[in-house]
Amino acid sequence: MTAYLVSMATFVGFFMLLALALNLQWGMTGMVNFGIAGFYALGAYTSALLSVKLGLPLWLAMPAGAVAGLLAGTLVALLSIRLSGDFLAIVTLGFGEFVRLVALNEDWLTEGPRGLKIDARPFADVFSRESYPLVYLGLVAAAVALAFLVAERIRRAPLGRTLRAIREDAVVAEVLGKNVLLHRITVFAIGAAFMGAAGALYAHYVQNISPQVFMPMVAIFIWMSVIVGGPGNNWGLMLGAGLVMAILEGTRFLGDVIDWLDAEKLSAIRVILIGILLIVIIRLRPRGVMPEPRFRYRGSRAAADGSSVNDVTGRGDTT
Amino acid sequence: MTAQLLVNGLVNAALIAPPAIALSLLFSVLRFPNFAIGGYITAGAFLAYAANAGAGLPLWGAALVAMAGTSLLVWLSDEIVFKPLRGQDPVTLLVVSIALTLIIEHVVRLIYSADVRGFDLPLQRPHRFAGIRITEEQLELLALAAAIAALTHLLLRYTRTGRAVRATADNPVLAEVRGVPTRRIVTAVWVYSGALFGLTGVLAGLDLVIEPLLGWNLTIPIFAAAILGGIGSPYGAMLGAVLVGIAEELTVLVLPSTYKVGVGFFIIAVLLLVRPHGLLGQPEIRK
Amino acid sequence: MTALLEVAGLTAGYGRGDIVQGINLSVGAGEIATIIGPNGAGKSTAVKSVAGVVRPRLGSVRVDGAEIAGMAASEIARRGVAFVPQEANVFRQLTVAENLEIGAWTDRSRIAERRERVLALFPDLARLFRVRAGHLSGGQRQMVAFGMAMMVEPRVLLLDEPSAGLSPVMAGQMFATILSVNAAGVAILMVEQNAIQALRISHRGYVMASGRIALADTAACILESAEVAHLYLGNRQ
Repeated sequence: MTAYLVSMATFVGFFMLLALALNLQWGMTGMVNFGIAGFYALGAYTSALLSVKLGLPLWLAMPAGAVAGLLAGTLVALLSIRLSGDFLAIVTLGFGEFVRLVALNEDWLTEGPRGLKIDARPFADVFSRESYPLVYLGLVAAAVALAFLVAERIRRAPLGRTLRAIREDAVVAEVLGKNVLLHRITVFAIGAAFMGAAGALYAHYVQNISPQVFMPMVAIFIWMSVIVGGPGNNWGLMLGAGLVMAILEGTRFLGDVIDWLDAEKLSAIRVILIGILLIVIIRLRPRGVMPEPRFRYRGSRAAADGSSVNDVTGRGDTT
Repeated sequence: MTAQLLVNGLVNAALIAPPAIALSLLFSVLRFPNFAIGGYITAGAFLAYAANAGAGLPLWGAALVAMAGTSLLVWLSDEIVFKPLRGQDPVTLLVVSIALTLIIEHVVRLIYSADVRGFDLPLQRPHRFAGIRITEEQLELLALAAAIAALTHLLLRYTRTGRAVRATADNPVLAEVRGVPTRRIVTAVWVYSGALFGLTGVLAGLDLVIEPLLGWNLTIPIFAAAILGGIGSPYGAMLGAVLVGIAEELTVLVLPSTYKVGVGFFIIAVLLLVRPHGLLGQPEIRK
Repeated sequence: MTALLEVAGLTAGYGRGDIVQGINLSVGAGEIATIIGPNGAGKSTAVKSVAGVVRPRLGSVRVDGAEIAGMAASEIARRGVAFVPQEANVFRQLTVAENLEIGAWTDRSRIAERRERVLALFPDLARLFRVRAGHLSGGQRQMVAFGMAMMVEPRVLLLDEPSAGLSPVMAGQMFATILSVNAAGVAILMVEQNAIQALRISHRGYVMASGRIALADTAACILESAEVAHLYLGNRQ
């Protein structure tokens, strides 16, 4: 049971890293990312391939996973900085699917759907086998703490305030000029680096990665974490990540109670449940469980709140 | 060889044109990219499968069942999920639509598992014209897509409701002021689009195989076609479908066919960067 | 006797604030009433809330004694109240002919006859029938917008700044058109920056300031009122 809890806590850690990263990107700058799985996969495969194929030591390979995320994040942000939220969503989703396609098809490199086996684990020869899971949890926790500190620092810095103030208003962002655009790209890239790091940590923990893990569904789990926690709120999303994992894992036990549920049906039910919950949460609490402190209402919602405008299609161009 | 690829490309285009038109129509009155279309198409395919292989209806009957059923599902998804969220920002609606597509896909998995299926149909020998192979079904698919494009054009241009749809897409507040019941017009668009998504499910099931990811795998080419045509412009969507369909086939000349899906993404990315409003689309006026 | 359009205690706004705070207005059958006032006084919101584009929060709007406050704009349109917005008042993607067609949405009887009448009001539109409204000049668009509202036989016409953006000559023509429409028996409530010209053709006048009616009188009295002239009309003479 302890072993199970430790492994669950480790997985929650990966979720927290991804959620912190998404919050940097979306919560801080309003830049939408649906390609989370892509950056996650990129970090995982970079680190894994460097250590498996080139035999690089992990202290080089794992940070390289983060760097790969950083570079890809910079590229995606540079290319799409002009796009509005919904179009950026499509481009990032495309990026994620592209990474998955490459991992699936280039099996001379990635072993394709069979999965890539990874032997190397950080500090494996320093600690005993019994204590290793705890050590790894500690490593992941340290990474989460580091990411949290960085995210909080960015949030509290004058830059963070500016970013949040302009995240709803692309026109203001343009007026403020290149400087702000550069900062937005930076913040997006840092978020992508977190995702890459999470991928590297994941790869060497499970020691077998395959493209099926990096489905776009990952993005929904992470979005769920951030939305539950309240966009822009770093404490809230950690709670959200824990909650999402609790739902994912909690439903596993349904199989023990209801015997016609096989593993496939269970996993389907799990996704259905998460999906319904996400929609219900958005419907009930558009600002999440723990709203971001000291921040004004989002403009578009304030308008919808008053319900004074008879704009049935929600284009909202009457104000 | 190339002629064959062009024909294949057109068949491809015929498959994605109707849903691209539907997506464009939906976007034009609702102003958010609805990723639930994958779920709708999958639902259409499985409804038709249930009616055909399950209840023993002929395929055309099954197709009608799928169109009606998907229309109903799409309408319900608006009533239950999207209508209460109207006025929220497009990104929130996009998250919700992706969640919805996952829900539909996994409900299908729950009932039918992930097995690959096909309709109960006799095998057909392809026709040959000047060295080009094309099956009866593919010919029907081409004719059907052309008919749908023409029908949509006629409806939009020459019927009262069609004009109201265009007016609502253009300026919803003014349409309301002139007495157009825009809520009912939006519902009509959902229902019409739903029928097209249902039909697409059937046609995709004929051309490909029936599985829960059927709709998701078509989502990107459909979006590519709609964006290529200037999202919100049904005429552009038809043209976009032809370009995407042919581009997908022609890449087979240089890339392994498994990357076909990537073509859609590539087109979207390049297009959004070069022309953020699509080829025929008008830039939206923002205050 | 009650007026054709009776507005009482109307309060409306966006978000948290009330931009219009409990105003009373009335327009009798066959009358023209004009609301003037400084920018930001809430004139435009007032007329939009009568039309149902902005949903009123309090108060009543009666047409011929029947309550319309709180109805959807399309429902209000169906009751013979035609509103011409100041901006975005044509369907840019539709041709002029199609715009007029949509104008007749609530009542399609005698559509050809009405189209003739609109063309009599705005003869220029005849040769622009197949042109998309988005390609028209500002003045031509204003004609299409007005013409659309006249495709039904409205009992009350609500105009938001009908002369905005027009050249002085065209503005003069617009006021002449308004007068001729009124002469045919249509009651008109309009908001105008061009206060003097508007008041000259009006029966009643209202001066709005900070969301309230500061002054209500006959148009002639308001035109002559030294106080109003000083406050709002001075720089326009």
